[in-house]
Amino acid sequence: MKTQILSFKTYDDHKLWNKLKAGDEKSFSLLFEKYYGDLINYGNSFSPFAEKVQDCVQDVFADIWLYRESLQEPNVVKAYLLSSVRKRIARLYERDHVFRKITTTDSIEFLFDFSVEYELIDDEATAESVLYLNKLLNDLPARQKEALFLRYNQGLSVDQIAEMLEVNYQSASNLLHRGLLTLRREWKGSFSVIVLLSSGVF
Amino acid sequence: MQKRNYYIEIEDFLSDESFRTWVLTKVDEHGWEEWTLENQQRAKMVENARFLLLAMKVPNTTISSTDLNAALQSTWIKIEEKSNLNKSSANNLSAKYLNKFWLSAAAAILFFASVSVWFYHNQFMTKNAVVTYEELIEDTNEGLVEQTNNSNKPQIITLSDGSSVLLQPNSKLSYPKIFNGNERKVYLSGEGFFEISKNPEKPFIVYANEIITKVVGTSFRVKAYSDQPNVEVLVRTGKVRVSSNELIVDSKKVKEVILLPNEALRFFRSNSSFNKITNITEDKTLVSTVGNIEQLSFEFTDIPVEQIFKTIEQAYLVDIDFPKAKLKDCHLTTSLSDQPLSEKLKIICKSIGDDTSFEMNGNQIIITSEGCN
Repeated sequence: MKTQILSFKTYDDHKLWNKLKAGDEKSFSLLFEKYYGDLINYGNSFSPFAEKVQDCVQDVFADIWLYRESLQEPNVVKAYLLSSVRKRIARLYERDHVFRKITTTDSIEFLFDFSVEYELIDDEATAESVLYLNKLLNDLPARQKEALFLRYNQGLSVDQIAEMLEVNYQSASNLLHRGLLTLRREWKGSFSVIVLLSSGVF
Repeated sequence: MQKRNYYIEIEDFLSDESFRTWVLTKVDEHGWEEWTLENQQRAKMVENARFLLLAMKVPNTTISSTDLNAALQSTWIKIEEKSNLNKSSANNLSAKYLNKFWLSAAAAILFFASVSVWFYHNQFMTKNAVVTYEELIEDTNEGLVEQTNNSNKPQIITLSDGSSVLLQPNSKLSYPKIFNGNERKVYLSGEGFFEISKNPEKPFIVYANEIITKVVGTSFRVKAYSDQPNVEVLVRTGKVRVSSNELIVDSKKVKEVILLPNEALRFFRSNSSFNKITNITEDKTLVSTVGNIEQLSFEFTDIPVEQIFKTIEQAYLVDIDFPKAKLKDCHLTTSLSDQPLSEKLKIICKSIGDDTSFEMNGNQIIITSEGCN
């Protein structure tokens, strides 16, 4: 079974990055293979056009190679890649919509929906709670959802999330906190009884 | 692992990799189970964190190594193109001042152009959210060949990749002479039945009015007459993805529909909505328009070659000329359902014998053979 890896090997990435900078094509390919899937998934949560997303991700890599000599080494390579993909899609989106309604930087919206790990649920009460939680999660504002996704599914730190979403540390932390707070409040209200009955651990 | 004794929030658990591993893979290297049971307050928190984690699944869509390779390949092509672009712009550096002048001129022209596009666009968006074949063709700059069927019976077109299209009367298809790049794009007005030769690296894309149909290798029918209110796609074999062309809808609203064999989709042009039809036999209009080719079976078990050729003649409305006497006693067992015409002929000829070949000239097919093995 494949684990969803939260922390990633920073050392390896930096080694790859430095070799890439020195013009090593093999390292470039390795980095590409390592993160392409994740980046496509992330990109797809902003745009239903799979092809354009592929284009954007490939452009990000192409630019890294072309401008490798002048690039600063990022603290966390994965965070840098995710953020570059996000920026590129935002730019594309703006360009396509120049004469339409919105042109702000957060004009792209995180359309992704979390799903439920059904294989790991074996009783009905759990299923019910998890399903309800899942609905609450997916009903959160897009930015809160994205912050949660970046923090807990992609393993970015609050700092990195702040940078990606172009807000300060406090706002990023608030995004995460508020998301979970809403969940907890809603959840307690309607589920304490069921949880109490089913788990018996109170 | 002692830091967990100080966990007070669900967040603390969620960001602990060892906790996640335990919940999501049931691998309990750090004795979470035991630790949880030590304390009731703790058990409740763990339970909540676990529920939340279970509700936060991210679909793990892995990309196949072929796709990954193709992606890497096209990235290198992009790099090539971009670096060529950079070089050529560097050469122009000497004309910097002139450039500056041109730049402002260009900016002014761009501004006017944009404004007119905007006016046009507004008009276009509000009154007429319809995309026509002509507009689609205009948008491309890939020298296309256009074939129109003005006759009263279907016409077969064989594309450079071996795919075949059975074009219905009053329909036209535009396609490049040779498919370059990493996609095979064609443009349809009217109705056509497509049998696509398999090539996972080069998806085949049909642009028809407002919708885009994308496949890797399969057979399906697209019906998109400019004067009819609906666009239809019906799948016979394989898997097909249909999405609306972004020319008409906000990219946020576009959704992709996946069709499997014997599923169909109807797109209502008036409000740009999709209707997926999972049981095509219940849909009267679809059933009544099923063509020959879709009804005929291409599964042959010990069938005379003559019979097989007859089936193909009926399906594709072609004439097949073959040495009747020499092939009199030849029987074949073969499955040709999922193949375009040229592929079908290739398989038949190969099965008959080494000295059998075919030649295609429009609707005329000539088989030369010295008899079967």
